[in-house]
Amino acid sequence: MAEVVITGIGLVTPLGRSPAEVLGRIAAGEVASQPSPLGEALACPLVAPVADFDPQQYFPENKALRLMNRDAELAVVAARLAVQHARIAVGRTYPADEIALFGATGLSGIRLDQIARLVEHAAAADGSLDLDRFGRVALRRIRPVLSFKILANMPMCFVSIFEGVCGPNAVYAPWEGQGAQAIAAGIRAIRRGEVPCALVGGCDVKTHELALVSLQQLGVFDSWVRHGRGTIPGEAAAFLVLEDESRAHQRSARICARIRRYAFRSMAAGWLAAERSEAPAGAAAGEGATARRQASSADVPRRHCFCEGLAHGTLGHAHDERGHGTQHGTRALAGMFFSLTISGRPGVIAAGDGDVAVSQAERAALERSGIEPSSIFYPKAHLGNAFAAAAAIQVALAAELASRGETRTVLANCLGFGTEQGSFVVEAV
Amino acid sequence: MTRVVVTGMGIVSPLGIGREAFWSGLTAGQSGIGPITLFDASTFPVRFGGEVKGFAPGPVIERFPAAAGSRDRKLLLALAAAEEAIADAALPHAALREGLLCVGVGLESFCLEDLTAHARAENLGRALARSILARYDSPWFQTPLDRTAAILGDRYGLLAGRYTNCSACAAGTQVVGEAWQMLCEGHAAVALAGAADSMLNPLGLGGFSLLRVLSDENDRPQRACRPFDATRHGTVLGEGAAFLVLETLDHAADRGATVCAEVLGYGSSLDAFAVSDPDPSGRGAVASMRRALRSAGLEPGQIDCVSAHATGTPKNDAVETAAIKEVLGRRAYEVPVHAVKSMTGHMIAASGAVEAAAAVLTLARRTVPPTINLQAPDPACDLDYVPAEARAFHGDIVLSNSFGFGGQNATVILGRSGDLP
Repeated sequence: MAEVVITGIGLVTPLGRSPAEVLGRIAAGEVASQPSPLGEALACPLVAPVADFDPQQYFPENKALRLMNRDAELAVVAARLAVQHARIAVGRTYPADEIALFGATGLSGIRLDQIARLVEHAAAADGSLDLDRFGRVALRRIRPVLSFKILANMPMCFVSIFEGVCGPNAVYAPWEGQGAQAIAAGIRAIRRGEVPCALVGGCDVKTHELALVSLQQLGVFDSWVRHGRGTIPGEAAAFLVLEDESRAHQRSARICARIRRYAFRSMAAGWLAAERSEAPAGAAAGEGATARRQASSADVPRRHCFCEGLAHGTLGHAHDERGHGTQHGTRALAGMFFSLTISGRPGVIAAGDGDVAVSQAERAALERSGIEPSSIFYPKAHLGNAFAAAAAIQVALAAELASRGETRTVLANCLGFGTEQGSFVVEAV
Repeated sequence: MTRVVVTGMGIVSPLGIGREAFWSGLTAGQSGIGPITLFDASTFPVRFGGEVKGFAPGPVIERFPAAAGSRDRKLLLALAAAEEAIADAALPHAALREGLLCVGVGLESFCLEDLTAHARAENLGRALARSILARYDSPWFQTPLDRTAAILGDRYGLLAGRYTNCSACAAGTQVVGEAWQMLCEGHAAVALAGAADSMLNPLGLGGFSLLRVLSDENDRPQRACRPFDATRHGTVLGEGAAFLVLETLDHAADRGATVCAEVLGYGSSLDAFAVSDPDPSGRGAVASMRRALRSAGLEPGQIDCVSAHATGTPKNDAVETAAIKEVLGRRAYEVPVHAVKSMTGHMIAASGAVEAAAAVLTLARRTVPPTINLQAPDPACDLDYVPAEARAFHGDIVLSNSFGFGGQNATVILGRSGDLP
């Protein structure tokens, strides 16, 4: 079975566009955040956008950019950076149909401004949906290409078009775990000999209003409600070039790191449904959002979530009072880590993103599985959480850490919302 | 090499609810297309589609209470189809617990009414946020794409991995193919693979009609979807869901399961051409079929039937015909090539799964479904498309194509279970 190595990394994150830059800024304690566009209406007061991003810098005069939403713009740039980093010429280094593309995208990327006019013209005087007006008037107020912009597979299709990649493919959605599945799909395609090379990654934009509303209702910000701190929704894209190690050596590729093993765990515990029956404290029906939220952008410490929960990891199941914390059964995560058979003291790229329950469960699972980390990084606590892109970022930073030689083996955890959790063992070559 | 077989299936389609209703309608050449009744579409440019008629959400929610918080129709269609597939396979829950789940779903839906309620607000986003927070237990504004996988996981376990595939029109075929690959690789012994979609809502139907890919023949909806016909001018949106239970042959044999068919191969490719149109060269479609053949260890001459993607758009059908000819060579003229969508409409993400189920039934029931509405020959589409009437099938292998918006292509190959124990 082929060994799989990382030979290219492309990142577009709030803290930089190379693993070295991102790790450096994390080490310096930077936290990417700015006030949420929803302000006081949301439990989480912050978002982590990518500043100063202009895809025209990378693809000047490219008309296809007009058909893209921001998630696709981030994706095509990150993919281009990864391919360039790997020094791959698609069609020459490998035939285009021998490069696979597996990616993850997030919750629908449709933005409020894209449908505001439709909503305005489809609303009856009493605020109900007026289907007669919708058909006669409102439909004419939206751009026909909107459907293409918001289809979940479009970012990866644009990546294929921009890079000329034609191989096996799939698109997964919408959380961190599915981003990890995309990486694993690339690994599997190489290991079974279907392709020698795969472009894998994800993109996500969780900084606009509709996404934030959905995240709030899904319980992603419950840690903010409970503890006044939690995950900061962000945006990013990240891609990795994976190659069959022997083929990478043949072409004298620069190898960043090897992905030795990976493991997945589907959580058996109820996802959201079981918890939805009980509203969180202070969130009784009719109570305003402001009362529920316990912090504002002004009073949140800049490093509010860094390493939170590390000191009190608990064995057994980590219980958040409600919401997505409960899915992170410590026992299940420990079983996943244990299956990776890690020896020595690895570095850990932790999944902890400020959510108290996630941090507790992750730490407890590491302890339970006998892993004593030599160092722990919490990238999401600095970068924000760009859900579908997070796994590729985690693995990219693990590769950077391993390549520096500070620690030979790095465990990259992709634990988060949803039921799917993944973890990768990345090692220096 | 590990062999993987189909031991159960469930189908919810415009031709009826349940496998038998679907197959009966399909082989009778019935059209499942009709005027939209799910909402008032009387002022929409396109006012018809392939609705699943008589589908009652209530009983599904009763059996899956976790679905109550969602207003997403495709979620309920998926649960109904998955439940039928599991029952059909007579698969014990203990076996499913360690199984794999591969679900294909379409575009996320959100509740327009939640938005129009605040259309006059000074800040629509903040008004929406406040209202949703104030009614914490209200149905979700937006149902996350992995909700189907989560609910099925809650019910059945499926702890070997739950994959939510969003590869648009290729998703339904990709989930079957990926499940096959992972079973072959030993990730599990059992998989539930399927897909669901419904774009028959105001934003879905309205948005697609703006793209000019839909037929607008509102006065004759049942004739509107005409794959391979010279007068074809657009596809018709449908909705539906299908799930297959896949098992390794050893697992199926150990428990004495009835084998419906065998999954022989799978391939996928990308056009890398344009998001709105298929590559006119058909290169991606050709690559997908060839990759599937290679993975199955088959020669083109061994294919006995093709279930075509066949949307009824002028470009797609001609490109697919040319691609089939390039891959199969002379064999292309000897095998039936049929179009399920002529009867169901285009169920987008669900199409591939429904068509894979149709391929299984083609093999098991020894009948090729027809392509309806094919009356005017198109010189660019010159294969045997089984016009109008179903016919007896004596072959052993069916190839099923799905080619998606954005240029994602997928092909799965299924074989008859005749030689299996």
